[in-house]
Amino acid sequence: MNTRPRVGLYLLVGLSVVISFFPIIWLILTSLKNTAGIYAWPVQYWPDPLILDNYWSIITDSPELLRYILNSFIVGLGCTILTLLVGGLSGYALSRLRMKYASILMIIILSVSMFPPISLLPSLFQTFLNLNLLNSYLGLILAHSGLFLPFTVWMLASYFKTLPVEIEEAARLDGMGSMRIFFMIIVPLSWPGFVATGLIVFIFSWNEFPLSLVLMTQDAMRTAPVGISLYPGEFSFPWETISTATVLAIIPVLIITAIFQKQILGGLTAGSGK
Amino acid sequence: MANVSLQKIGKSYGDSIAVESFSLEIKDGEFLVLLGPSGCGKSTTLRMIAGLESITTGELLIGGEKMNNVDPKDRGVAMVFQNYALYPHKTVAENMGMALKLQKMPKHEIAERVKTVSDMLGLTEYLARKPGTLSGGQRQRVAIGRAIVRTPEVFLFDEPLSNLDAKLRVKMRMELQQLHEKLGVTSVYVTHDQVEAMTLADRIVVMEAGVIAQIGSPREVYDSPATEFVAGFIGSPAMNIIAMDLNSSGGWSSVNSQFNLSELPGFDITGIEQVNVGFRPEHLMIMKAGEGLNDPWVVTAKVVLAELLGADALLNLCIQGETMSARVNGTKHPEQGQELRIRLNPQNMHVFDRSNKKALLRRNIT
Repeated sequence: MNTRPRVGLYLLVGLSVVISFFPIIWLILTSLKNTAGIYAWPVQYWPDPLILDNYWSIITDSPELLRYILNSFIVGLGCTILTLLVGGLSGYALSRLRMKYASILMIIILSVSMFPPISLLPSLFQTFLNLNLLNSYLGLILAHSGLFLPFTVWMLASYFKTLPVEIEEAARLDGMGSMRIFFMIIVPLSWPGFVATGLIVFIFSWNEFPLSLVLMTQDAMRTAPVGISLYPGEFSFPWETISTATVLAIIPVLIITAIFQKQILGGLTAGSGK
Repeated sequence: MANVSLQKIGKSYGDSIAVESFSLEIKDGEFLVLLGPSGCGKSTTLRMIAGLESITTGELLIGGEKMNNVDPKDRGVAMVFQNYALYPHKTVAENMGMALKLQKMPKHEIAERVKTVSDMLGLTEYLARKPGTLSGGQRQRVAIGRAIVRTPEVFLFDEPLSNLDAKLRVKMRMELQQLHEKLGVTSVYVTHDQVEAMTLADRIVVMEAGVIAQIGSPREVYDSPATEFVAGFIGSPAMNIIAMDLNSSGGWSSVNSQFNLSELPGFDITGIEQVNVGFRPEHLMIMKAGEGLNDPWVVTAKVVLAELLGADALLNLCIQGETMSARVNGTKHPEQGQELRIRLNPQNMHVFDRSNKKALLRRNIT
């Protein structure tokens, strides 16, 4: 094996980390500055003075932010649960139940996800209006789930393919039907796959903008990204409020990722076979 | 317990045929081995009995009842897989008791039966463990236990020992044998390992390309292979096969070398001019000096390669341009390059019709 330290590789990795983290670091720094510090020229890198006032004031002055975050959380969670359930079942059916035309169906599912969400908006809006689903959690959960289902089906189907098929056959001989096999065998064994996919879907849903903007028109129903994007007023651009709100909106996602990341890494199939 | 009857069973995937017109009566309590190279349809046949593959044509009966469309769990069969196929997230006890739990058997009864079987297999101390913490041999024992707990009518084994190392394989093979003697349950065992087949089977079914090449006891299959394929597949090293044509003087000449035989005694060869002659490696005998001087079956040979296996040695011989292997005593075996006189025992000779690869029958076996 080549044990020579791969300097170039580390350099590239370091660079990409800096590039991708810079906006977030800048965001956090901005949230700790006062207005003068934000507009200071030459640019102020380290907040001076370093203050937490923005956080206190956003909690007292803009309590609606917590509502936005809660909305995002409800929609994200609902969407994650729904996509994992539906995507898991269909991924299992498509990858394991020897369906006719399964591969063609998979391609069709993939091609559906190629429409830009924006193009779906007019018809989706009209439909939701008719069904009375505007400004409802269920409505946005359904919309987000539809958006992320193809991805979920593909992710989970490919995960299921890595499981030894004999376990399912043994379960069949033991007397389990397809549903029971899915919930008692496939789900526990694919748990890392479910967690990873679920996290990605949750983050997708958390960050999703166009559908959330259009389908949730009442202020009390807005999700965090939409709510925050509406902070700039006609005559002001409150950077400190926006950056502070954004930092607060990132925190739940960070917590959830931290909780589940161990599960992604731990494989569960060890010991089933060879 | 039950007998299993396969009547003209066939399996095809679209245009490709995996198993064709497979007919076999497996007796109650019999240990039957399906033997063949990979892709010969032996596993497919087993899986059709299990209900994991649908049956395209023919009928399957277990205990006299038609099973073609019966759910796997209702066929009274239990299967042991090559890669164990245990539930990794369940304990050994849960793995073994799963089928009973699904049958809604009371918990204490399940525990009792799991205990009995785990005692029998020496698994009791592992009952609370998960399969991931067990060795390969222990895992396969759990898989076997899981099958026994269900008290099935028929055991199905799909290459259960292939994943184990050589030493463990021998041990487990003997355990399986004892288990079968103890339980007496009809067993169908798929393997590509001829040693497993020879040691375990009451009867061996040799399969080739989806059809049965021969059915017989291990001895019959070894001593009287019905086709050249069976002759070549069973026995290690493989039988020496020499393609020979009838020559103008009424003797037989090798197609590829100067090797000649004056006659093929005891075989009914009327009307056949092209044959393949076979000698098993252990039937090539080294002659001592001065022995068999006038014997027409003694030929001179040169040792191309000598391999000591321990008790035996394998010689790679060149006999009149023909390469043959011989299995001889390993204690004092000839060296590479040495000239030998070898007797080919005509009584242990096999002759196959080259046109259909079928064995020619002996007129009289002496």
